[in-house]
Amino acid sequence: MMPENPPTDPASEVRLKDLRATDGGIALIARVVSVARREITRKTDGGRRTLLSGLLSDGTASVRFTWWDPPPEGIERGTVVRVANAKVREFRGRLEVTFDWKSRVAEGSALELPTMSSEDLPLRPVASLRPRDEGLRVEARVVRVGEKNVTVGDERRVVHEGVLGDASGVLAFSSWTDFRMKAGEALRISGGYVGSFRGRPQLVLDERAQVERISGTNLPPSDALANSPPRSLAEVEASGGGVDVCVEGLVVGLSPPSGIVYRCPTCRRQTQQGLCRLHGRVDGEADLRARLVLDDGTGSATIQAGRADAEALGGHTLEEWLEKLRSQPDASRVEEELFERTFGERLRVRGDASVDDFGVSVYPTKIERAAAATSPDVGELGHRLLKVLP
Amino acid sequence: MSRREPAWRVLAVEFNAAVEEEKGAGEKAASYLLSPLGARMSRVLVAGTLTPAEPVGRPEGAPFLRARLADPTGTVSVTAGSFQPRAMALLRAHAEPGLALVVGRVNLFRGRDGNAYVSVRAEGLRSLRVEAYRAQLAETLRHTLDRIDLVRRLAAAPSETDAAIVADGVPAAWVRAARASKLRYPAVDATRFRTPLTSVVAALGPTTPPARPEPSRGSVRITRSPPPAPAAARSAAEQAEASAFLDVIDGLAEGSIDGYADLRDAVRAAAGRGVTAERAEELLNFLEEDGVLEEPIVGKLRRA
Repeated sequence: MMPENPPTDPASEVRLKDLRATDGGIALIARVVSVARREITRKTDGGRRTLLSGLLSDGTASVRFTWWDPPPEGIERGTVVRVANAKVREFRGRLEVTFDWKSRVAEGSALELPTMSSEDLPLRPVASLRPRDEGLRVEARVVRVGEKNVTVGDERRVVHEGVLGDASGVLAFSSWTDFRMKAGEALRISGGYVGSFRGRPQLVLDERAQVERISGTNLPPSDALANSPPRSLAEVEASGGGVDVCVEGLVVGLSPPSGIVYRCPTCRRQTQQGLCRLHGRVDGEADLRARLVLDDGTGSATIQAGRADAEALGGHTLEEWLEKLRSQPDASRVEEELFERTFGERLRVRGDASVDDFGVSVYPTKIERAAAATSPDVGELGHRLLKVLP
Repeated sequence: MSRREPAWRVLAVEFNAAVEEEKGAGEKAASYLLSPLGARMSRVLVAGTLTPAEPVGRPEGAPFLRARLADPTGTVSVTAGSFQPRAMALLRAHAEPGLALVVGRVNLFRGRDGNAYVSVRAEGLRSLRVEAYRAQLAETLRHTLDRIDLVRRLAAAPSETDAAIVADGVPAAWVRAARASKLRYPAVDATRFRTPLTSVVAALGPTTPPARPEPSRGSVRITRSPPPAPAAARSAAEQAEASAFLDVIDGLAEGSIDGYADLRDAVRAAAGRGVTAERAEELLNFLEEDGVLEEPIVGKLRRA
């Protein structure tokens, strides 16, 4: 049986991160992050029922909610609600809260939301962050930061974007508030959440986030963060990609389109049979690209090399290639020669990595031939062998 | 969505010890060769001394090439057919024995005797300098040791979850591969790989010259001369019979489009020379055992 008087004592309100699927009603206080109204038609009698559904967050976690038969005026995004006698259930592996006729929903104040002092939040290595994580604290150094003007609806806003890192790795962040961050600073950040941008995790700081400067003596220096050692491709794939990723492997193939391509002079899109997807028939401008397949034995990635890198790797400038084509008009030779020049080459590539259905893609900021001249550590390998096969 | 298969870094000794195949179900599914040391290979990367390629089993100039690649632990067969024009051109261009790395798809052929013959169908190759070869050998050895470590870890703690192992930085695909390998080779004794692996460490030493290529045993030259003398135990009559049978095969192979002699045609033609179907089958068996004939496609014969 439900308790007659639902609890209103703040101490009994459940933090969203502590939710468990239970039979009884619970009390909670949270902010409405997103909300949408829907109407459901009952199959049995065709009766209609309204519901609101969306996302709630109290800074410790966020959960989906469903509110059956809500008041006609609904509820606005950003409102803080205090709910008594909500139900918790599991749906598709995630917990949800449901408000029905037994529940009481009232407007609350932002002051009633759990105050998130940094110490209450778990300290997380940035490499462990995944999209939808929240209620966390990181201690990291700003690798770089810059401003970008964006238009949200019809409002113009400044977003501060950059990269931060700790000993575990680096992560992109974007901040809607100006925390006056500077490259090189060590920060303790609490109350942000992890979103996803092009499939890779990104720390998002809104007005609720707290940023403090710390001494950061236990954090790697900026140049070490900007020149992180290579990670395995299996690990990059498992983590969903990231910014400033370094990988190393051998070129084992070249994916089409590679070689000489033609681009629309207006939008730089690649043309197909002289046609741009947006601008129709155009006089395409020649460009050089190489989609290198890099393999390190644990996985593979496509390196989307642009003209400068493709020229360096292929040993000829675009103009030289075009000159060659005039005397021997077979464009596939460019691709073939790029393949022969790059196949088996050991490369170290730094750039932003993203993961989709086709696997890992890296948009390189720097490609260099990995030094093979340093002789392998034979002693270490000998020791490993003795340890593994005693 | 099918992802690109990574190129497993394997040494010849491990590659040649792999005899178990995992066939994928459904359309366009990849099949894998499982090694006793936890590799689940569809594509491999091998490095060593590569001999010049020789045409195999078909009239001169017909498109099928085979080369041998030797690393300190053994020799791997590297092939290219007419469906890999790029790989064929690269193999042809590699005219002198020399250090190279080869990336290619794994091919497993199970002979009539049930023996597995593995080879690498080349996709690309690159000549290597000694330093690059050493670096590659070191990487391959490191991966091999990592996989042995993993196989042993699974044997020691079979109930450990994948997540716990992956948390230690082991690729998830390797854990899956090691589990599959564990099922197919339940009684593998990894210590028998100690000696070959030790020779890799020795070869990595700065003073050691790179591995010498093995004599190209098993590679094939086309010749129309009588077959090599069979084992001494066989009588002169048997040899004569075998020789006649080989003539039949040669005649058929010459006249066929694909360079193979059809088994049924061969048996029929042999019957015309007074060899019964049963006897033909016996002759075929010992010619295959002697390595004179092979049947790479069921019902299709050619000189090995």
